[in-house]
Amino acid sequence: MHIHELNPWRTLIAVSVFVVVLIVGFLTMPKPLFEYQKSMEESVEALINGEDYFYPWELEDVIANKPDSIVLFDIRDNFVFGQGHIPGAENLSASTLADPDNIKRLEALRDMGVTIVLYGADELQANGPWMFFRQVGFNNIKLLLGGYSYYKENEADLYETINDDAYFKGMPRYDYAELAAPKDGADLNADQDNKPVQVRRREKTSVAAGGC
Amino acid sequence: MNRNYIFLTILMLVLAVGTLFLTGSDEPKQIAPEELLQEIIQPTRYVSTDQVAKMIIQGDPSLLMVDVRPAADYEEYALPGSLNIPLEELLNDGNLGYFGVPGVKVVFISNDDIAADQTWVLTKRLGIDGTYVMKGGLNCWMQTIIDPTQPDADAPSVDHELYAFRKGAQIYFTGAESATPEGDNVEVQVRRREKTSVAAGGC
Repeated sequence: MHIHELNPWRTLIAVSVFVVVLIVGFLTMPKPLFEYQKSMEESVEALINGEDYFYPWELEDVIANKPDSIVLFDIRDNFVFGQGHIPGAENLSASTLADPDNIKRLEALRDMGVTIVLYGADELQANGPWMFFRQVGFNNIKLLLGGYSYYKENEADLYETINDDAYFKGMPRYDYAELAAPKDGADLNADQDNKPVQVRRREKTSVAAGGC
Repeated sequence: MNRNYIFLTILMLVLAVGTLFLTGSDEPKQIAPEELLQEIIQPTRYVSTDQVAKMIIQGDPSLLMVDVRPAADYEEYALPGSLNIPLEELLNDGNLGYFGVPGVKVVFISNDDIAADQTWVLTKRLGIDGTYVMKGGLNCWMQTIIDPTQPDADAPSVDHELYAFRKGAQIYFTGAESATPEGDNVEVQVRRREKTSVAAGGC
């Protein structure tokens, strides 16, 4: 005879306590800061569709009118940010992106429906963080094409860049096959300052010159 | 049979059925998002075109170049020995098997570095190590390796050394025959003084 058969209620109590502990455990489990909201397939698809870019010419309006619906975040470090940044941008260094305070701020902005534009020194710097935030469910984050360097070059007339394609990435800028085609060796050295040796000839003198 | 045993059996069965739902996710193994963010903000994944050129020339067996451009672009021109896995086919079966092999450095290559970097982030999310991004991509490859520009005469000597390396790499990659400096081919013609019939003065 087992001990619990003496008191049938004992088993039930033990099981109930066990279940309660499990439920409490699940409820109080610390929630991770981020969770992936997009699967791998969805992430690849979003990249191929070229979603959620912010074009340099769109900055014109942001700088002039400072709309409440758009916030610029500069992910370069604090020192470089101090040397110059897009007017109205806030500094959010890449190294502080994972701070819970910053994430709360981003979440608050997302809930308010504000568009966040990330930019770095170039597009490459902000690309990783931008992809990351898209994958963990910040659908309001956009990537500034061309980054700060392109903005700086075209600061004077941003609206003109609407016709420019220099900031587009992923385009071949050369005809690779032609440029890398086998070349004649002499061609390659054309720039090496191999100027022909010029031999200056003595001028003939008609008169018999003296000396040796 | 005792009532309690029946009760416990039912509980076990319910829990067993519950585990079926736990393993229902078909997502592959991924690293924690925080970990991914830490990896992303470090710039250690970038390699220069010069480093890649050097590894190709030296025949580094640990190098695996993965070209993420569309197949048509890849067929037109690609770096020697590179493998084509377009971004949209990254997750197709077998392609992920190339990555994360111990001792193999995978370098992603695209026109610029953006598509390569995006591929890098995706593979990193899957916990794959040993992947790199060629900074500047093929456009930069053309500028630095295939058509290098000569530094100014007063540029630091490291620039000239780099240029000398790139010139060598250019010859390697464009298949040009070893060039002889043009200057050597110019015949220096030395004209001798013709003897004069008249008696010259002096000694």
